[in-house]
Amino acid sequence: MMKRISAWISKRLNLPPVLHHLLDEKIPGGASWIYIFGSVTLFLFLLQALTGMFLAIYYAPTPDHAYESVRFIQEEIPFGSFIRGLHHWGASAMMVMIGLHILQVFLYGAFKAPREMMWMVGGFLLILTLSFGFTGYLLPWDQKAYWATQVGINLVGTVPWIGGALTRILRGGGDLGALTLSRFFAVHTLFLPWLVVMMIALHLFILRRVGAAGPWDKKKAEAVSEPFYPRQVFMDAVAMGVMFIVLVVLAANVPAHLADRADPTDTTFRPVPEWYYLFYYQFLKYFEGRFEIVATFVIPLLFFGIFFAIPFLGRRWERIPVKRPMAMILGGLFLVFVFTMLGLAVKETASIVVADPAIARGKAIYAKLACAGCHRIQGEGAQVGPDLSYEGDKRDKTWLEAHFKDPQSLSPGSFMPSVRLSEAELESLTRYMLSLKKEAR
Amino acid sequence: MPEEVTRRSFFGKAIAAIAGSIALILSVPILGYTILPALRKREEPWSEVGPVTQLEMNQPKELEVVRSVSSGWMKAASVRSIWAFRKPEGEVVVYSPICTHLGCGYHWDDQKKKFLCPCHNSSFDLNGQVLGGPAPRPLDALPAKVEGDRLYVVYKEFKSGISRKEEI
Ligand code: FES
Repeated sequence: MMKRISAWISKRLNLPPVLHHLLDEKIPGGASWIYIFGSVTLFLFLLQALTGMFLAIYYAPTPDHAYESVRFIQEEIPFGSFIRGLHHWGASAMMVMIGLHILQVFLYGAFKAPREMMWMVGGFLLILTLSFGFTGYLLPWDQKAYWATQVGINLVGTVPWIGGALTRILRGGGDLGALTLSRFFAVHTLFLPWLVVMMIALHLFILRRVGAAGPWDKKKAEAVSEPFYPRQVFMDAVAMGVMFIVLVVLAANVPAHLADRADPTDTTFRPVPEWYYLFYYQFLKYFEGRFEIVATFVIPLLFFGIFFAIPFLGRRWERIPVKRPMAMILGGLFLVFVFTMLGLAVKETASIVVADPAIARGKAIYAKLACAGCHRIQGEGAQVGPDLSYEGDKRDKTWLEAHFKDPQSLSPGSFMPSVRLSEAELESLTRYMLSLKKEAR
Repeated sequence: MPEEVTRRSFFGKAIAAIAGSIALILSVPILGYTILPALRKREEPWSEVGPVTQLEMNQPKELEVVRSVSSGWMKAASVRSIWAFRKPEGEVVVYSPICTHLGCGYHWDDQKKKFLCPCHNSSFDLNGQVLGGPAPRPLDALPAKVEGDRLYVVYKEFKSGISRKEEI
C-alpha cells in the first residue's frame, strides 16, 4: 500500500530526477566523517526552530510577564524544562559545531576559489548565529539576562560617533525595558530566522553550483568519487543522532538556568555572558578608558574584516596545510588566544561567589525586624536568644519557616514572637538563615 | 550487483531508522508539552471569606469572597458574593449567589424568611429547596469549612436552567 502510494506520488511529481539531483551529487575523495559538521549544524538549526516555536506557545514578551511565563514553562508545564533545555543546550551545541565546521574548512583550504562566496555567506551565518545568542539571552528577563544585555548594549555604545544612536536603536529608547524586550523577541523569532534560512539556502546553493571541495590532496580527490547518498547521508545521520542523544541527556539532566526576576534597581549583580562570548568578555578587561574602543570596536571590525578577506589572502591555489605555514600559524595563534582568554575567564568567574539577592533581602529584613536585639551573628547582636552564626548548619528550610510562623510549636516555652511576613519575605529571611554556614566564610 | 543492492538498502534503512527515532523521541515531549496543559482541569482554591463569627443562626447574609483566579502564569483577584448562615447545630451553609433558573441574583427576605428571586419569582427556603416559581432545582450549595474562626469556601459556578447541578 505504502509502496503504491509513494510510486503514485513519485510518478505525478516526476520525482526521480529531483532525487537524483539531491542525492547523487559527487563527493570528490568519497564520503568522510570530517564532513559532518555542516549538516549537524543544519540539524541543530532546525531543532532550534522547532523548540523555539513551541516555547513561543507559552512565552510572553513583556517585562511584566516574561519571567513568570518562563518560570511557568520551566516548572509547571509537562516537559517544559526539557523543551527549554533542548533550546538552551542546542544553542551551545550550534556554536561548537559552527566552530568545528569553520576550523575544518580553514584547515582544508576549502574556502579557496571557487568557494570564496560560500565562505563569506558562512561569515554572515556566523554573525547571524551570534545575534541569535545575543537577542535570545534577554528573553527570560531574569537578572542574568537583564544585566548581561545591559553590558552588551553599552559595548555598542562605545562605537565612535554613532554609538549613542545605536544603543537607542537597540533598546528602542533611552533605557532597557518593554520596548527592548519586544524588539529583541521580534528579531530573535521573526527577523533572524528568515535571514538565516535565506543565507543557508544561498550557502547550499553555492555548494551545489561549485561542488564539494574534497580532500586537499589532488590525487586522493581524483582517485575516488562517491555520490552523496548513501554513505555521506548515513554518516551525517549518525552524527545527528549522536548529537540528538547528547542534547536529550543534557536537557533531561541539566536544566537551563533561571536566575531571579530582572531587577533594574539592583546594581550589585555581576553579569556573565554565555560561554561563547566569554573569551571576548575577558579580552575586554585589558582595555580601559580611552583604549576601550580598541577592544569594543577596532578589533572586532578588524576580525570580521580579516575573516571576510581570508579567501583573498595568501597563496590562492594552495590547499595543503603544510604548504600554507602562515595560515596555519596565524590560525593556531588565534585558537590559542581564544582558549587562553576563555580559560582565564572561567577561572575568574568560578571564583566569584554567586551572591543570591534573596539573601541580601533576608539580611535587610533581619535588620528591619531588629532581630539583633536578641540574636547574635558573628559576634554582632545581643545574646538573649540563640546565636545564629551557623544557623544554616543546624536547621533546614521547613523547620525555619515553621519556626518563624509559630516559634512555640517547635520550641515550647520560647518567648520568640512569631514573625509576620509575606511568603516571599519569609522565603528571603529563611534563605539568609540558611546561608549562615561555617564553610561559607 | 546484488551485493550492491543490499548495501544501499542497508544505508537507506539505517538513515530512516535514525531520522524516525529522532522524530519519535521528540514527538512525545512536544505533544505532552502542547496538549497536557490544555486538558488540565482548573483547580479552585479555598478562599478565605472572613471571621465566621459574623454569621448568625438561620439568618443568611451576603458576603464577599475575594478569590485569586489564575490563567497560565497570570494571577488576578476577582470578587464574588455568596449567601451564608449558621445552622443551630453549628454547621455553616453557603449558597452560590446565582439563581438556578436563569442566573439572576436573588436575596433573602427576612420578613418572609425566604430567598426571593426578582426575575421570575422563584423562591427557596432556608435549606435551598424550591418553594415556588420556575427554578428547576434547589439553590447550589458551595463547599465550606471553618478553620480557627475563619470561614473558607470554594467558589464555583453551575449551569442554570437545568435540574441537574452541573459545574461550569
Ligand atoms: S432567574 Fe431566578 S427566577 Fe428566573
